Amino acid sequence: MRIADRRKTDITVQGARRLNLAAGMLAASVLADSGVEHYRGSFHNKAMFTPLVSSALALAVSAHGLADHRRGSHAFRDTVYAPAGLIGLIGTGFHLYNVAKKPGGFPWLSLFYSAPIGAPAALSLAGLMGFLAERVRGAAPGKPPRVGGVAAGRVVAAATSAGILGTFGEVALLHFRGAYHNPFMFAPVSAPPLAAALLAGAALSPGRTSRPVTRWWLRLTTALGFAGVGFHAWGVSRGMGGWRNWSQNVLNGPPLPAPPAFAALALAGLAALTLMEAFADG
Amino acid sequence: MADRFPGYDVLDKRDTPSWNQVTRDVIERRLATPRGPRFFAAQEWQTLEALCGRILPQPPDRPAVSIAALIDAKLLAGGTQGFSIGALPHDREAWKIGLAALDAEALAAHGNGFHQLAADRQDALLARAQRGELAGAAWRGMPSDLFFSKRVLGDIPAAYYAHPTAWNEIGFGGPASPRGYVRMALDRRDPWEAAEAARGHEAEARRKNRRVGR
Repeated sequence: MRIADRRKTDITVQGARRLNLAAGMLAASVLADSGVEHYRGSFHNKAMFTPLVSSALALAVSAHGLADHRRGSHAFRDTVYAPAGLIGLIGTGFHLYNVAKKPGGFPWLSLFYSAPIGAPAALSLAGLMGFLAERVRGAAPGKPPRVGGVAAGRVVAAATSAGILGTFGEVALLHFRGAYHNPFMFAPVSAPPLAAALLAGAALSPGRTSRPVTRWWLRLTTALGFAGVGFHAWGVSRGMGGWRNWSQNVLNGPPLPAPPAFAALALAGLAALTLMEAFADG
Repeated sequence: MADRFPGYDVLDKRDTPSWNQVTRDVIERRLATPRGPRFFAAQEWQTLEALCGRILPQPPDRPAVSIAALIDAKLLAGGTQGFSIGALPHDREAWKIGLAALDAEALAAHGNGFHQLAADRQDALLARAQRGELAGAAWRGMPSDLFFSKRVLGDIPAAYYAHPTAWNEIGFGGPASPRGYVRMALDRRDPWEAAEAARGHEAEARRKNRRVGR
């Protein structure tokens, strides 16, 4: 193998591992979020255990993928990621049904207080990122990884852009419900849409080899995702009784596991940029 | 009547996040209310106790809540329900007049004090008060129907249902301070809420109610 080919293989594996990391972070977010929220819903429908099982499996295989430095896609990881993507879609259907069966159909109140429509999509994104990780890793040595005939970097950038936009929609709805009472609540509806736009731009112009603004903006979005946990913890502490009253305030307060979804998607976007820069020729 | 919330004791929530120190202090003071007249005179107290027994009879298989003591304590502290009825004197005066008048009406009609009458005679007298038919001099112009509907029916249940024993009876969670409730949908229950026993599932409710204080 030529040295240049070896380097490109390293980049391919590294890109795949970063996508495993993104998938794992999304899965962890879904595991914690659906665990808390479905416990709140008393697992009224036994199907509410499904995302816990699926996201726990996705988290496990993502950790495996992150630790795996070998080339080639992994059959077991694939058999976890693909169903996770599907289960997320089915979950969205369940949540839509939950909202639709409330009297009055789709008024704001149901969108605010019924099962969140956007939440199961995070599991789909975890499955999708994991699926893409396996495709990137499965590329022939020295060959640019491709998905459905398109350069994998572009596909990941486009998927990440769409994922960030969807997450932005959910955040915009719920922070609107929270009346943007803290000015920092505007941050996750300001920075991520721009990150999505920059990534979409990258996906549409694959020839460029350097995108410092996009890269830095994605790093900012990553930081924002982690900072969000801190802000949400502060929100929980502001409920009557504070953290001592966690059994009410963690459930009623801002969701602690939600913000890292942005960090995970931004990291996937960074992986996409690296792939696009390494394989600008292909 | 069968216990609808078997094993439920709202006081189990005392040391959980449901209550803070302010809440604990308020409930402790209420439970420590002396069982005897302080605001009322001895005779008024006897009438009040008899009256409470007719308006809110209590089950014989547990110590009765002294409703009279709670009303006495509230009036002693100058407390009211927070609003006044134009045709009625202030709560303290209305109660003193009303109790004395009921006693006087009993004496006039049956030659005995209100508390000495048989239950059916007490009820008959109260029914006349409710219809506004009692207007002896002892009422001092206070309409007996208003006294009955606003003071008797207002203050006695309010005092009774301020007591933890009554909360246990109806599965009420007591003060939600600081911890309120999370599962708001119909027929959903937070682990710190009383569990109502479905017929034949009393043991299940008892098990859930044992965990309310954890």
